Amino acid sequence: MDRPVGVAHFSGPLQPHGDGAFTVAVGGIAVRFEGLSEELKAAALDRYRPFLSEDPPIHTAIVFEGPMDYLDMAEDKFLRLEEREFPEGRMLVSHVFAALRPPADGKGLLRVSSEQPQRNAIGAIENYLRWVVADLALDCGGFVLHAAGLAKDGKAYLLFGHSGAGKSTATEISLRETPGVLPLSDDLVLVLRQGERFVAATTPFWGSLPQQVKERGLYPLAGAYRLRQSPSVQVREIPLALAAGMILSCCPFVADPARRADTLAPLIEEFCRCVSVKELYFCKDPSFWEAIAPEEVPA
Amino acid sequence: MSNPSCPKRNPDVSWRSIEGQAVLIHNRLGEIQVLNELGTYIWENLDTEPLSLARNIAERYEVSQDEAERDLLEFVETLRASGALADDEG
Repeated sequence: MDRPVGVAHFSGPLQPHGDGAFTVAVGGIAVRFEGLSEELKAAALDRYRPFLSEDPPIHTAIVFEGPMDYLDMAEDKFLRLEEREFPEGRMLVSHVFAALRPPADGKGLLRVSSEQPQRNAIGAIENYLRWVVADLALDCGGFVLHAAGLAKDGKAYLLFGHSGAGKSTATEISLRETPGVLPLSDDLVLVLRQGERFVAATTPFWGSLPQQVKERGLYPLAGAYRLRQSPSVQVREIPLALAAGMILSCCPFVADPARRADTLAPLIEEFCRCVSVKELYFCKDPSFWEAIAPEEVPA
Repeated sequence: MSNPSCPKRNPDVSWRSIEGQAVLIHNRLGEIQVLNELGTYIWENLDTEPLSLARNIAERYEVSQDEAERDLLEFVETLRASGALADDEG
């Protein structure tokens, strides 16, 4: 049975895992984690190496001791992440962790048991990071998109869609078979406004591909493509409203209705007016590059 | 169509019109719905008394009153099924 978790779960004396800390920056959004044990800190430094930062953090979270179990595992074994709203802040709960993010500038509180296997504790940090970066991005005039991000010849291409759309497949094929392609992510890409244009940032977030060493980078966007698996490659135009709807439906972690309607939706409309958004029917080979970037493919 | 009342938009659904198409944002579900031109016209005019709205649709799209009423009822049911409308009660 799911453990009932309310705001009271984060009050009273809480025990940090240790005094280790690190700061990770995603597209200039710096988030600091404190309260780590030496082992957890070492694992985090290893995982986030290209993204470690000395910048002053926009947000800080403290990692505290917590119980072993929160939510029950879903029958399909997929990760359950539940977001809840309280006057005292927003909460994110999963199988192994619970986090509270107070409003305004308060420090985030992340509870996970030190008895958990290290990969679960790192997973808690990773999910917390995804959650706050998606929210902080909006404050910076940007958003996080469920997309594979690939850079080629200095420009970024976003291949977006829900789980199973083919983001990891397209990333894997491109990295293996298309020279000069750099990965931004195969799961979550940060999009930021930069003057009159939009750029995509490399993120430390990976989907089903193994973690690899990436280099931080910001690339002007050449296009965004809603992935559709198909026996043949084709790019199709879509109306602006549909493009905006498709992008909006792939923006995770913006649960606040007002933020979604008043901040995210107008931003996405603007994005769709600035950046070419189309549907890409693709099959499991790198030929889709000829359809989305013909000028970049050698004859 | 016998004296029907105006359906009400679900207050949990935010929306914006982009180039003549309504994009509905279901805030609780996190789902997005994009309406076509006729759907957008109906959505934007839900406050209009249904028989008048059907008459306006018939004129605008050059279809019979019967056809307009059928389209309107069908679309309202689609909206209701998707959760875009408030419950009738109250």
